[in-house]
Amino acid sequence: MKQFLLHLDETNTLGRRFIIQDLDETHLFISSDVLELLMTRVDDLLDQISFPINERE
Amino acid sequence: MASTGKSVKAPKSKTLRCRTLHEYLKSLSPSVLDRLYNHPSTCLAVYRELSEIAKHYVIRLLFVEQPVPQAVIASWLSKTHAKEHKEATDTLTELRVWNEASVPGGLSAWILNPIFKRNAKVALLGGGKPWSMSAKLEQDQKARDLDFLNQYALERWECILRFMVGSQQTEGISADAVRTLLYAELMKCNEGSESPVITKDGFQFLLLETPAQVWYFILKYLETVETKGLDLVECLTFLFQLKFSTLGTDYSTEGMSEKLQIFLQHLREFGLVYQRKRKAGRFYPTKLALNMATRGTLKQIREPGFLIVETNFRVYAYTDSNLKVALIGLFTELMYRFPNLTVGVLTRDSVRAALRSGITAAQIIGFLRLHALPTLATPLPPVVADQIQLWEGERERLTTTEGVLYSQFVSQADFEKLRDYAQDLGVLTWQNDKKRTVVVTKQGHSDIKKFWVHHQKGSQHS
Repeated sequence: MKQFLLHLDETNTLGRRFIIQDLDETHLFISSDVLELLMTRVDDLLDQISFPINERE
Repeated sequence: MASTGKSVKAPKSKTLRCRTLHEYLKSLSPSVLDRLYNHPSTCLAVYRELSEIAKHYVIRLLFVEQPVPQAVIASWLSKTHAKEHKEATDTLTELRVWNEASVPGGLSAWILNPIFKRNAKVALLGGGKPWSMSAKLEQDQKARDLDFLNQYALERWECILRFMVGSQQTEGISADAVRTLLYAELMKCNEGSESPVITKDGFQFLLLETPAQVWYFILKYLETVETKGLDLVECLTFLFQLKFSTLGTDYSTEGMSEKLQIFLQHLREFGLVYQRKRKAGRFYPTKLALNMATRGTLKQIREPGFLIVETNFRVYAYTDSNLKVALIGLFTELMYRFPNLTVGVLTRDSVRAALRSGITAAQIIGFLRLHALPTLATPLPPVVADQIQLWEGERERLTTTEGVLYSQFVSQADFEKLRDYAQDLGVLTWQNDKKRTVVVTKQGHSDIKKFWVHHQKGSQHS
């Protein structure tokens, strides 16, 4: 998950860099105004990697 | 040096909490409690809900007319159970069943609340004025049997629940019930729209068991009775009397005050009592009233289950009730609907929609387990339960806390000073001494800032 955030930051997907400081393996210090946008991005990612378990006829 | 932003921490989701009878009574004022104990049925209800040890204490003290030193009471229980002793004594004190007193010699002691003592004796041993509600002497010509009463109670209650899920059948719900729902924040009125809509708490409320729902609802209702001009103590006493009444017996409304009559009409609207006509002069308590707020009897009135959940995430509901279908529709995608069977499927999207509206995975799983057909070997396939939990966990992959970052300290000593100060205040979120960086919560920021400015001034002077 952290790598995904770093990737978003490096590629400027949100229009700008948002990570203020990389704290440790599990913590990032980020700018608070992109949070909402970031959450939708994370949601999108999870949508992509989830596999529909139900068969539809 | 300081910069604002967010760092990461564990979340806490808000769940609906249903208070127990004792928790409710403890929240009342001492004078209200004393007035409540004026009636034997209240004393009996409180006594029944006490723990075994507390019951034992009360019985041993019931005929002691003088204060008993606390040390003596403590000696009744082996030292290895000090925790239970503490719990029991705390409960009795908070409920004002006994009061603190002193005996000659300066020892602190306990003495049973005289009002409680008098009425508990009546409740346990008999004597005094008859305290249960009086049964009507002559036969009711249109007597109602148990089945009818149960049916009636369920219908009334489902009516309220159906209103909450927003089905079309909204007739039959009273203005008072709607007001209570709004007050309890189970529903809210959106600006611009006429009809109230369900809230997060409301969703959780729907998945509770019926007795818990009734109790939660009545508690909220009781909080509003005084604004309706009713007397809280009178209403509560009446509720306790109801609790000790017999199902299927009719009771007379004679001798009830004007206010209590109003209260009775409200209970009738919620389905806790049945009255054929408003002026019938008699009423029947229903099982909703009898099972309210009792620990042991919760399971007795549970309806038989009607759900089959398969490992392929399909949910089969054998029911014709619109309410149940609506409940299942909260977290499944409905596929087929037959007169007595509804088939839905749990999908990632449907469960996530439920989670978003404030229902927790544990509540969904609990609901599916609770209402599973009793003949099933496994009420809920583990794979389904696990998957629902995983879907919930997925939403919490990333959590944030707001905070302020301090870095680039000149010396290690400065850093440590600030970090320790933040730790003492309990506002420290994250720290790393190699990088000389701390993150404190937003609330703590102003304190830390003041402290830092002060600290720097101090070091400049020296």
